[in-house]
Amino acid sequence: MTLGYNELDLPVPGSRRQSQDQRGRGLSMMSDSDAVLVARTLDGDLDAYAKLMARYRDTFGAYALHMLGTREDAQEAMQDSFVRAYRALRGCRQPERFSAWLFRIVVNRCRTMQRRLKRNRRFAEPLPEGVPANGDAVASLEWREEIARALARLRPHYREAFLLRYVNGLEYEEMAGLTGANQAALRMRVKRASDQLRELLRDIHAG
Amino acid sequence: MPVDPSDRAGDELLQRVVDELRHPVQLDDSVDAAALERIRRAGLPSHAPWRFRLLAGLAGAALAAGLLLAVLIRAPESQPGPRGSRAVRLKLVAPASSRVVVVGDFNNWDPAATPLRGREGVWTVELRLKPGRYHYTFLVDGRKWVRDPAEPPAPESDFGTPTSVLTVS
Repeated sequence: MTLGYNELDLPVPGSRRQSQDQRGRGLSMMSDSDAVLVARTLDGDLDAYAKLMARYRDTFGAYALHMLGTREDAQEAMQDSFVRAYRALRGCRQPERFSAWLFRIVVNRCRTMQRRLKRNRRFAEPLPEGVPANGDAVASLEWREEIARALARLRPHYREAFLLRYVNGLEYEEMAGLTGANQAALRMRVKRASDQLRELLRDIHAG
Repeated sequence: MPVDPSDRAGDELLQRVVDELRHPVQLDDSVDAAALERIRRAGLPSHAPWRFRLLAGLAGAALAAGLLLAVLIRAPESQPGPRGSRAVRLKLVAPASSRVVVVGDFNNWDPAATPLRGREGVWTVELRLKPGRYHYTFLVDGRKWVRDPAEPPAPESDFGTPTSVLTVS
């Protein structure tokens, strides 16, 4: 699998935090590649692992949130994934591709949790405190809720394929390596998810 | 990333969905703290002494052998299928074909999951399915999609692929 996370058209994981850290700790943070942090972690440096977690928490957490539907479940999935990844860290044969290795663990963890969650248990996230409830904000919240409801109505493997393809920007080859499904099946799932989302959201979108 | 137009999903509606889902998400920092606490309690990544690893390997091999034996002993028994499921027989007449598989909602659209058995150009397979509606289609010789003429067509097609709807009551 070639999950080149930084090669994808995605926000660089942890970029916001890195800029904050750089102001406080100097430029050394920039030189801490994943491989360096993995090596330091294996030498017993838990601060290094904390940096890895901070680097990927929000980016992979977004996937978990969209898959599982609630912030609580997403945070549980990420916490479990971080612990499992740490326990298995010596098995990460390509530490420079730690992000792809970790993402696989996150995807699998979400699958496991999904199986014990009831469908339609999903609720949209409330607006953050301090956001004025003006017309635009309300419309935005309603749109977000409708998307959340529509996603929740998809079969989990359709939702997974749609998110991996369009939200995380993976190629079908990468998705096949990640999920174990073949590319034809994945294309079918993405297509079916797209059709269903289009059907579920058409009226809201038109209004 | 724009929605891929080659998947025929590249319309404004889905692009709005994708744009919304790509908004940054911020989880609580306590995720890391809780993970670290669990890690501290558990200790360093597994680096067991070689004797332990050898014993674990032997135990694993013994367990695998036992499981294999159990599978072999149980293999002749028929598979009852999911509880509440019903037997459904699918058939396709395709005399010039060398391989037919069925893909659908019941097997995650996996072409490797459910091959049909061919005899004199008639391809059949028996499935056990729970009551419900299933979209499916046949894949002939790995390249040609053929809808099941015995069941009604799906209102929409997948990638332009003819699809049938099977209702199990």
